[in-house]
Amino acid sequence: MTNPYFPEPARIVRKYELTKDVRFFQVRFIDTERALSFDYKPGQFMMFSIPGTGEAPFSISSTPSRPGLLEFCIRKTGRLTEALFRLKENDEIGIRGPYGNGFPIDAMNGFDLFIIIGGLGAAPLRSLILYSLDNREQFGRVHLLYGAKTPADMLFREEFLELIDREDVECLLTVDKDNSGKWPCYTGLVTSLFNRIEDIKPENTYACVCGPPIMYKFVLNELVKLNIPKHQILMTLERRMKCGIGKCGHCAIEDIYTCMDGPVFTYWDVLHMKELI
Amino acid sequence: MKDSLKSIKHIEKDKLSEFIKQLRKNFTVIAPRNVKDFVLFQELKADEEPYLDFLNSRQSPKEYFFPQTENIVEYEGVTDKRVPIVTEKQMRKRIIFGMRPCDVTSLSILDRLFINEDYVDNYYKRLRDNTLIFGFGCSYPRTTCFCTSFDSGPFSTKGADVFITDSGDTFIIEGITEQGKKLIEKLPDGDEKLLKTKSEIEKKALDSITTPPNVEKIPEKLKGLFENPVWEVISERCLGCGVCTYLCPTCHCFDIQDEVIDNKGRRVKNWDSCMFPIFTLHGSGHQPREFRFQRMRQRIMHKFNYYDENFDIIACCGCGRCVTECPVNIDVREILRTISEL
Repeated sequence: MTNPYFPEPARIVRKYELTKDVRFFQVRFIDTERALSFDYKPGQFMMFSIPGTGEAPFSISSTPSRPGLLEFCIRKTGRLTEALFRLKENDEIGIRGPYGNGFPIDAMNGFDLFIIIGGLGAAPLRSLILYSLDNREQFGRVHLLYGAKTPADMLFREEFLELIDREDVECLLTVDKDNSGKWPCYTGLVTSLFNRIEDIKPENTYACVCGPPIMYKFVLNELVKLNIPKHQILMTLERRMKCGIGKCGHCAIEDIYTCMDGPVFTYWDVLHMKELI
Repeated sequence: MKDSLKSIKHIEKDKLSEFIKQLRKNFTVIAPRNVKDFVLFQELKADEEPYLDFLNSRQSPKEYFFPQTENIVEYEGVTDKRVPIVTEKQMRKRIIFGMRPCDVTSLSILDRLFINEDYVDNYYKRLRDNTLIFGFGCSYPRTTCFCTSFDSGPFSTKGADVFITDSGDTFIIEGITEQGKKLIEKLPDGDEKLLKTKSEIEKKALDSITTPPNVEKIPEKLKGLFENPVWEVISERCLGCGVCTYLCPTCHCFDIQDEVIDNKGRRVKNWDSCMFPIFTLHGSGHQPREFRFQRMRQRIMHKFNYYDENFDIIACCGCGRCVTECPVNIDVREILRTISEL
């Protein structure tokens, strides 16, 4: 019988700095067959394991449409992430997963995507963005709004700046504050970008949001004003997690487990489950 | 002999140690022991008799299926970053002897979480698969007992392999499962009279459980109460010590931590408690369950609504340990009554 707590050996292929306290990790299963056949959905997450330090969950930032390598952006916040930051390329770690429901990619087929990111929310949503770009014919229009504190805090900044010139995606980037004076995009909160997006077809749009808890209230208000149906407003949320397999109870919200029934929830769920955000 | 009587046996009290000795040949026997001021389930030493003159043990034998600390991964050589290996050791079959029906019921509750179609917790399953249960009728339920609120009772044989009733001079011993029947087949046969004696003892026990709350409508009722101010009233005197969750036979939340001593490391599952704020504290500092009333609400809701929604059973067996041991006398039966009256 397979043991669900058992991490599989993997190798850090690349690791570099995204922002001052966030690192990009490219990881590959050591078993080549496993690495190539490993499938997942945008919005799912993996448990990272370092023997002697522990485990922690991280959203997958890469897309299943580019198999072989898994990518993550990880902020240093605790014991495991500190140990992870000390590791170097080619070091071994354990990973297990994928866990969680992920985005309902099949249901989203044919719809417009309206992606709204605040700060670290880029970690799970980059997966969806790359997935939609790789499978461009599966989606209608793709809008992307990303707000960060400063240009230096914007994850995958260069990658997103390049999207601005692409014709098949509308990418608007904003920062709260720019002291450098060199920021080529907008300044202000992410909600200030909403009036720059024209003719949203609410019935045919899936809005996908991820950001700090404080952001949701304002963004959800705007989305409701746009008349996007509540079940088409998706959020990927965070909870303290330990097992990832619906046993340990940490991520329980009412009768659901974030690790099994989430982390992607609809606005409808949020309205009915009081502790979600 | 009638079919129903085939597996009714009995054993004189002074012959019990001989019977246990026989069991010990093939099994590790875990039974109630009188430890200092209270009774705990522990492995019996050679020639030791179980201590059966008890109401219920301080802790339930839950720890023999879901240990307080359990290695889930062991590894060596942390420095060279080798990935953990699991130790799959063969284990000796065990008998939990003298388990009260409420505690036996708790296992059927835990089974639904740890062994389900989503994921199977191998560690729990291995311990469960290798253990036989000798249930022990509760002749003298405590004043805090309310097992009859649930699909159980002081003489419920459900979930047991063998069931024991203390009838004064002798123990009435029933084989419930095939495995159980086999273990007791050499004991002297019982008769109709024993069954009658048992039902008399059972009736007396049932009569003494006078305060079981009616929980039938509780799961449905709780659905609309999430934002009710009652939670603040209920949790007003709660200290947040977590003893209720620690002693609860159905509480199953756990933490996963790594420990390293010298060059040997282990990853362990440790009991955890939803009554502690750190239980839900995010890495970012965000705290979704900031106040004590929210954590109390989580505990009650989880047991009496969420668990029922997910696994079709209430996560309480009415053992009353949380009632007897709460330092500020919070009584879950009162909470349930308050809820039903809202």
